Amino acid sequence: MAEPIDCALDLMRRLPPQNIEENLANLLEIVPDLTEELLSAVDQPLRIQKCHQTGKEYIVCDYNRDGDSYRSPWSDEFDPPLEDANRPPARIRELEVVANEAFNTYRELYFEGGVSSVYLWDLSDGFAGAFLIKKVNDTAKLMKGAWDSIHVVQVVEKGRYAQYKLTSTIMLYTITNREELGSMNLSGNMTQQDEKDYQISDPSDHIANMGRMIEEMEIKMRNSLKEVYFGKTKDVVNELRAAGSIDDSRRQAAMHQELFSKLSGRMS
Amino acid sequence: MSDVELSVEEKIKIASGFLLSSPPGEVNDVFNDIRGIINNDEALQVGITPVLEEYNTEQLLTVTLPDTDGAVIISKHNRADADHFIDPRSKQIFKFDHLRQIATDAQPHIAESSAEELRAVVDEAVSKYASEHFPEGADSGAGRTGAGHDGDDVQILTILIVSNKYSPQNFWNGRWRSIWTVNLASGEVKGRAHVVVHYYEHGNIQLNSTKEFTVPTDAVGPLVDRSQIKEYARQLVKQISTSEKQYQFALNDTYTQLSESIFKGLRRNLPVTRNKIDWDKILNYKLGAELAHK
Repeated sequence: MAEPIDCALDLMRRLPPQNIEENLANLLEIVPDLTEELLSAVDQPLRIQKCHQTGKEYIVCDYNRDGDSYRSPWSDEFDPPLEDANRPPARIRELEVVANEAFNTYRELYFEGGVSSVYLWDLSDGFAGAFLIKKVNDTAKLMKGAWDSIHVVQVVEKGRYAQYKLTSTIMLYTITNREELGSMNLSGNMTQQDEKDYQISDPSDHIANMGRMIEEMEIKMRNSLKEVYFGKTKDVVNELRAAGSIDDSRRQAAMHQELFSKLSGRMS
Repeated sequence: MSDVELSVEEKIKIASGFLLSSPPGEVNDVFNDIRGIINNDEALQVGITPVLEEYNTEQLLTVTLPDTDGAVIISKHNRADADHFIDPRSKQIFKFDHLRQIATDAQPHIAESSAEELRAVVDEAVSKYASEHFPEGADSGAGRTGAGHDGDDVQILTILIVSNKYSPQNFWNGRWRSIWTVNLASGEVKGRAHVVVHYYEHGNIQLNSTKEFTVPTDAVGPLVDRSQIKEYARQLVKQISTSEKQYQFALNDTYTQLSESIFKGLRRNLPVTRNKIDWDKILNYKLGAELAHK
């Protein structure tokens, strides 16, 4: 029989993504010894909180959590305040400040709203970062949508080069309620990976390198999401029930076939 | 989260919720995952059997009877007891294994009710409609429930339609279910459709849609003259067909709207400038601004 962790992860890939948080909480009740492993492996919808020091909004998730407190990327302070908190070293924090500014501009240009946060942490041979964006679209009364981007980059520094490993997850939620439709919830998540080597002449090059990778990835994934959400699942719906009569389409197909054979017979 | 580990019975109770929300065609996969995390087959079998029964009847699972054409829907409307179901169409009663999803021990079963004649006529009309709009692999059944309390005239007909498309090799599965209740005495016709689609290549994306239908009472009306059942069934199926067609149209229409408004409103394909970002420029600008602040 498969390992419990594999079963737990397979389960999360099958159960309705509309209830990720509830499903995960229930799963942890059954396999409490896998708590740490599952919390880091299963992405949950991002939440937003206001920074007391700067008044700016930021994203709270597993990447800026220490115990029950969350660190603001704008002030570097924990909320609720925490003594002996885990903060990135000065070199990493400096990079984090620039990354937050740059990614904020990126967010504004592509999302025209929403909230972004970047969290970096130290690794023995480099560093890693989480680039996060949340955008909610609830301007239309009966249609609501939300987009969460979670990009995690692992950077291995090798002198004048650096290796970047990117894992990107996008969660897209749509909920529609209308009289003729009833209710429709089309939601879920998609994950893709990429790996690249880039040259480094200055530490700030890291930001541009990671930025380009994330930008490429989001453009690619936006297309895949569009294709799956509004193409593939729609096609399946129309395969489950044929809008036109199946007998008519069969007759039509037979007629085309007949016409085709007559034509090809004439051509030869 | 409590520090006390739950008993295996409590864990199975939680896992039951997982099983009931299994995507179409994946209940066996979900069951195997549950087996792996519960790690107690004996307790699981005891605890999960009634849950499987609930899943199979709610989801209108279909099964083929030996030596019988077409599939039979498993539902609470044609349930004789926990593991016996009736196929009014082939006039058989059979044993159903909820775990392995197989039918055995089919025996002749003659329904004594006068409602059976009505049911058979409606079933024929529904089957014709189902074969026109629900492709191969789809099944329909007009089950009878609560028909006649010994001479009571109140008759309720239940019409079940289920259409499954499984393509696990392409990482998608889907199910359409519709359940219609017809009160022959009052003429009340109500229905509900559920559509679930799961797409799981590099992720987990699900469509979940539900629509309730109420047909105006004067559209079909009560069945006054039983000899007119054929015409009545024709009218009834026409209403069902129209309602389901409109719902499917609304679904397709919503797909278009979601893609054009909500999705575009969340993230642009490219910035307004129609160019990708010049990262060096952004950084220089921001670093410059940083320095100016100092």
